[in-house]
Amino acid sequence: MANSEVVEWVDKYTSDLYNWAYHKTSNAEMAQDLVQDTFVVAVEKIESFQRKSSVKTWLFSILNNKIVDFYRKKSKAHISFEGSFLSNFFTEDGEWTNESKPNDWNQDDAHLLDDNEFLGVLKTCMDALPESWSATVKLKYLLQKKGEEICKELEITSSNYWQMIHRAKLQLRACIEKKWFLEN
Amino acid sequence: MHLIVLSCLKATELIEKRMDHKLNFVQNLQLTMHKSMCKACLDYEKQSFILDDVLKHPLHKDVVMIDLDKFKSEIIAKISE
Repeated sequence: MANSEVVEWVDKYTSDLYNWAYHKTSNAEMAQDLVQDTFVVAVEKIESFQRKSSVKTWLFSILNNKIVDFYRKKSKAHISFEGSFLSNFFTEDGEWTNESKPNDWNQDDAHLLDDNEFLGVLKTCMDALPESWSATVKLKYLLQKKGEEICKELEITSSNYWQMIHRAKLQLRACIEKKWFLEN
Repeated sequence: MHLIVLSCLKATELIEKRMDHKLNFVQNLQLTMHKSMCKACLDYEKQSFILDDVLKHPLHKDVVMIDLDKFKSEIIAKISE
């Protein structure tokens, strides 16, 4: 039998927790799983909840841990670099290949965030990255932490981390340019 | 690596690293020199800043609505197991 207090919290806080999880994952199903897990943990740990913080704060801290865990697990999957990846972008001398040379976007970013179509393209391009790369990128911006701290968190070396961010950015940039700037 | 001339590959690596920590004197000089000669890497840097900025925000504008009552019942069923 569930703790009646937690049942009350489910009624009161599910909506806020879901909205937050959705903002952090942009995925309804994932957000629901994370919220559900949050309450499972709440039931398990209610005895140790000291009531020094509000219930809401406590539930959100559980949820935030769940969100970070979620990306951390994904980011650890297969950190490998295909040798051929960079040759999609650079010649043997390290110069841009003709097809991959960045074009001038002629745009500042002020309006991009309000543009649903652009956000759609960005999401498509993020989803096209290898899963561990996109998870690392999301974790970087989610945690708003410096590279060193993220390396510690993910237990990867700094050079591995930078290699991954660099490659993810190269691919993301090219994808957005192709799908957004050249078609608009 | 050549002391002054940086390849575009190296230049873009440094651009990404600099988002997070300071480069040393030589790296800074190399990067500045490179960008003054290479429009493509200059554009890359601008766009990398734009990406950095947009990635700080959620990848959507509106939250997908769900049936909250149904969802709440599911959670309660789950924690009652």
